[in-house]
Formats: sequence, C-alpha cells, structure tokens
Amino acid sequence: MPYQLDNQTADVRESLYFPEIFRAIGIVMRTFWRNAFFSRDANPDVLARDLSHSRVTTVTYPEEKVTYAPGYRGLHRLVPRADGNPRCVACYMCATACPAQCIYIEAGEVEGDPIEKWPTKFIIDELRCVVCGFCVEACPKDAIRMDTGEHPKPTYDRGGQIYDEKRLLRGPPVSYDYDPWLRRGSRLPQPAMKQMRDLARPFAREAKDEFSETPGFSARTLASEARARAEAGNK
Amino acid sequence: MKRFVGMWLVIGAVLLGLVLLFMGFYLLAGWAAGVAAWLGAPEFYGSAIANTVTLMAVLLMTVAALLTVAERKWSAAMQDRIGANRIKVFGMALGGVPYLLADALKMLTKEATYPAARSRLLFELAPVMAFAPTFALFAVVPVGPEVELSGRKVALLVANPDVGLLWIFALAGLSVYGTTLAGWASNSRAGLLGGVRAASQMISYEVSLGMSLVGVMLAYKTVNLQDMVIAQGAAVLGPVPALGILLQPLGFLVFFTSSFAETKRAPFDLPEGESEIVGYFVEYSGMKFGMMFLAEFVEVVILAGVVTAVFLGGWHPVFFESWLSNPANVPPLLYGGICAAAFLAKVILLCWLQLVIRWLLPRFRFDQIQALCWKMLLPGALINLFVTGAAVLLDPSLQLLAWIGAAEIVAIFGITAAASRAPATSAGAHDQGHAAHAAGH
Repeated sequence: MPYQLDNQTADVRESLYFPEIFRAIGIVMRTFWRNAFFSRDANPDVLARDLSHSRVTTVTYPEEKVTYAPGYRGLHRLVPRADGNPRCVACYMCATACPAQCIYIEAGEVEGDPIEKWPTKFIIDELRCVVCGFCVEACPKDAIRMDTGEHPKPTYDRGGQIYDEKRLLRGPPVSYDYDPWLRRGSRLPQPAMKQMRDLARPFAREAKDEFSETPGFSARTLASEARARAEAGNK
Repeated sequence: MKRFVGMWLVIGAVLLGLVLLFMGFYLLAGWAAGVAAWLGAPEFYGSAIANTVTLMAVLLMTVAALLTVAERKWSAAMQDRIGANRIKVFGMALGGVPYLLADALKMLTKEATYPAARSRLLFELAPVMAFAPTFALFAVVPVGPEVELSGRKVALLVANPDVGLLWIFALAGLSVYGTTLAGWASNSRAGLLGGVRAASQMISYEVSLGMSLVGVMLAYKTVNLQDMVIAQGAAVLGPVPALGILLQPLGFLVFFTSSFAETKRAPFDLPEGESEIVGYFVEYSGMKFGMMFLAEFVEVVILAGVVTAVFLGGWHPVFFESWLSNPANVPPLLYGGICAAAFLAKVILLCWLQLVIRWLLPRFRFDQIQALCWKMLLPGALINLFVTGAAVLLDPSLQLLAWIGAAEIVAIFGITAAASRAPATSAGAHDQGHAAHAAGH
C-alpha cells in the first residue's frame, strides 16, 4: 500500500502565498549574489571545494578534469621496462581472458635468446573493449595496466580507436627483482642493467591502495573530509 | 575577490554607458524635433519618430534580446551553475553575449515546417498578432523626463496620449489574440489546448490587472503615464517621495502578479507547459517561433517598464534628486541621461526579479491559477481600490494613503518575518509529536 501523505489544508499564512514567496526570493537572491559576485573555486576535486562564497560545483570539462577515483580503469597501457621494451612476453593470457576479444597479439622471438618472446604486434580495439579489467588481472607479468586515468580520445573514424603497441607502450617503467632479464643476464650494457636493478622492487603480495599515497589525492581522505563536513553541518 | 571587484566595475560601466547612451538619444530626439520644425511639422512628430527608432527598435529589442542571454546566465547563477560559456570570441566567453548572434543565426536559418492542415492566413498572422501589441505597449512608457535642449522641450517618450494606462489595457487585451490564434490555426491538439489555456488565463488576469491600477489612477488623479511619473516625484511623508509602491503596496503586488501571468512565463507558463503540451507555438518553427519567443521577452521588459513607471517612480533617480534636478548643478542633458539610466536600471532589476520568481516557484496547476486570480488577486485589488478611494477622499494630500501604504508594507514584512521563523517551530512540534507517539507505545 502506498504511504499516506498528511493532507493538511494550508493555513492562513500559507494560503496568502506572498510571505512564503518573499522568503523564497531572499533565498534565491542570496544564491545569486554568491554565485554571480564571487569566483568559483576551480578545484577539480569537487568535494574539497571551498563553497563559502560561490557555490558553483561545475567542472568545465575539457579545460578542467576531475581526478578519477583510485580504482578507475582508464585507457590501457603496455608497461615498459626501464630499457624501453615492453614487459609483455606475448603469453596470450590477456587475449584469452578478454570477454570482448578486443586484444590481438602476434608473438616474436627475442633474437639471441632461446626462451624470451615479445609482442611484435599488440593491438587493442578500444571500441570493442568493455573496460572490465580482466586483461590486467590475467597478466602474469604486470605488463598491461589500466592506470593511465584517461579515456580513449574521441576520433572521427573507427580506425583511430584501434591502439597498437606503439601507442600503448608508455608511462613509467616498472621493474621487479624477479624479472628474468635481471636474473639471467642480458645483452644490455652494464650501467643500464645496474639502473634497472636499482629500480626493481619486490612484487606486492597484498593488494593495497597504491593511489591513496599519491600526494593531493586520496579517496579515503576525501571520504573522511566529506564526513567531517556533514557532521559539522548537522551541529 | 577579483571577480567581486570586476562585477561592480561592470555594473558601474554599464550604468555610465547607459547615461551616455540616453544623452545620445536625447540629442537625436532634439535634432529630429529640429528637422520636423524645419519641415513645418509639429516638433513632437520629429522627436516621436526618433524615439520610436531609439527606444522601441533599438533599446527595447536589445534589452529583450539580451534578456535571452541573461536568462541563461542568471538562471545558472541561481542554480549553482556557470551557464552558457562555450562560444568564445578571442578566448573570452564575454558573459555569454555571443550566444545572441548564434541564436539569431539559428532562428533565421532554420527550416520552416508547416502543418498541412493549418488555416493559412491565421497561421501566418498569429506571430505578428502576438508580437505587435506587446511591442506597441512600450510607446506610452516614459523613459526619460522632459528636458529643454536649445530651446526645444524633448522627452524620451514615443507617444504621450492622455489615455495612457487605458492604452496599456487595450493592447494587453489584444495580445491574447496572437496566442489563441496560433493555437487555433496550427490545427494541432496540443497547440489548441495551449491556445485555450492562454486565452482563459490571460482574460482572467486582465480583470485584476485593470482593477489593481484603478487605485493608482485615484491616487495620482491621472491616467497619463508621464504625469503619473512626475506626480511620484512629489514628497509626501517628509522627504519620502510619493512612489507608487509606498502609496499602493497591495496594488503593486496584484499588478505585478497579474502582469506576470500575462507574460505567460513560469510559474504561469501553462499555455506552454513543456512537459505536457508544448504549447500554442508547438507547430511553429524558425523565425515564426522566434517571434513568439521574442514577444515573451519583450513582454517581460515592458511589464518591468510599466511597473517601474507606475510603482517605482519611473525615471526619478529617487536619491539626490533635488540636487540633480537643479540645472545649476547638473546640465539638463546630463540630468535627462541620468534619469533615463535610472529608469532602465530599475527595469533591469525588475526583469531580474521576474527571473528569480521564475526559478523559485513550480508551475501552478490550472485551478490554482484561477483560484489565485479570482479568490486572491481580484478581492485584494477591490479592497485596495475601496481603501484608496476612502483615503483619497478623506485626505487629498495623499498623506493618509502614504501612512496606510507604509502600514501595509510593515505588515507584509512582519508576516514574512513570522513566516521565516515558522518552519523551525513546526519541525520542533513534529518532533515532539513523534516523541509523544513513541512514549505512548
């Protein structure tokens, strides 16, 4: 049964219309005054904006961009090693896991190395991608990530949405101390090798909110600030 | 802070620009009067033609067109948004003003589609019938005082007929035809419904519109708008001038509300009703729709103009007026410019107030509209009329009327203040009720 609303008849003050309207005019005028005469805080983190003067919460999109939440799955990237080659070993795990079948890989052998493979072609059709992140989960080498925080740029033709390895290979390089090219030796010159070793870190066994440590942005901080604001507002 | 200073600078610059603009209008009117005298015609013909061009074709249309932009930007500010700012001229949004050109271009170049079953003549005639009477209303609104320029008396006023307010009633009545014909001629159910709604709403509100102004006519003993504005400059309570809003606060409320309903804009926009029927102009496209659309904005400006002239002292700057009006301090041409700028400033303020009201009230239901008209505004106007009549009869110097008006204003403020405290107490009572309810269990 639908809930009942109290069918109260309007009292004299309410049925006079005008007093309530005058009151409302005051409210709208105050809002107008604040927004028209004071500049807006353009902080892309909308929750952290200073709303004491202007209360405008607009983010003028192409010029300003909201910082995405830490779990945001953006455009893919192929993670490079410190020497600029992709970490990918062309194992086809991501292409197999992909429910949209948008990943196409052609494997090639690394010259002079009996074991190593590398992708001569690594193509993702971003129009077919369903942004599920399974490829990232499936990758045994941490070679594909969706941590760019971007979305595919709009294009005028479909071909522009097909990203090959040249466009995908970007971002900060990642090294781990178990990386085979660090352990087995490599054809790289010694100084570069040393640099890669220095950058290497142990692979994290526990999942952690890596982005929460990014200076200036943290989902937890945002949430706690919003909670504090709400509590302050209630008092 | 930069924006705060900038906004005040813009406002100051606009006011200064208006003063200069109106001085130019005065000079043009004076020159045209001279040409008319040279041709052997009455001087008034020349200044009337010049004023038709400057005031009606330039000023009124510009303000009405700018109001379309202002509606976007002001509405945005009232709703915590930014508003239209994507069209940029050399990287500057210029407060959305370039949208004016974009709108005009769009209206003019859009394909005009016609319903096949329209009644052709009326369909073509309706936009004109909607636009022309509202446009012509402005002819009797006095924008500036009569100023002596090189021996010629020039006023910023297109026509000064003795009928004044009656002209306004007559033409406001005519503008019903445009909307109703538009609805009828387009031979569409939604359009017809909109037209019928417009007719019933506008005809109802015309009654209270007329009645609310009778009190003003009694108080100032004239229906000529220029005389009415001049009468408002006289001091009545000490230094306080006899503004219409002081003598007739109730009349002001009733007139403002009724004429608001006449403009067919929210919250009285039942004839349009975007969510149910698109309205009497649903079948119109291109510039024909543009005419209907513009007519509405012109109506807003004219309503503001009439309210200013009748209730807010018209072109009287109100403050420092005795000093300003002395030719020893301020040359007559500058005085005229300042007065006309004061008039337009009041008009803009009232347009803004209408936008505020547009955003703070949801659309009325049709029975609510009629109830507001017949059960509130009309009795209010009649009471106001009787009280005014009695007060003027007892005290022709208007002192008594001014005291009554002041008492009404105080009462309205008192009730409003009481209303603004009311929700807190009612919420408290509600909580207590809940507590008692819980205790009962």
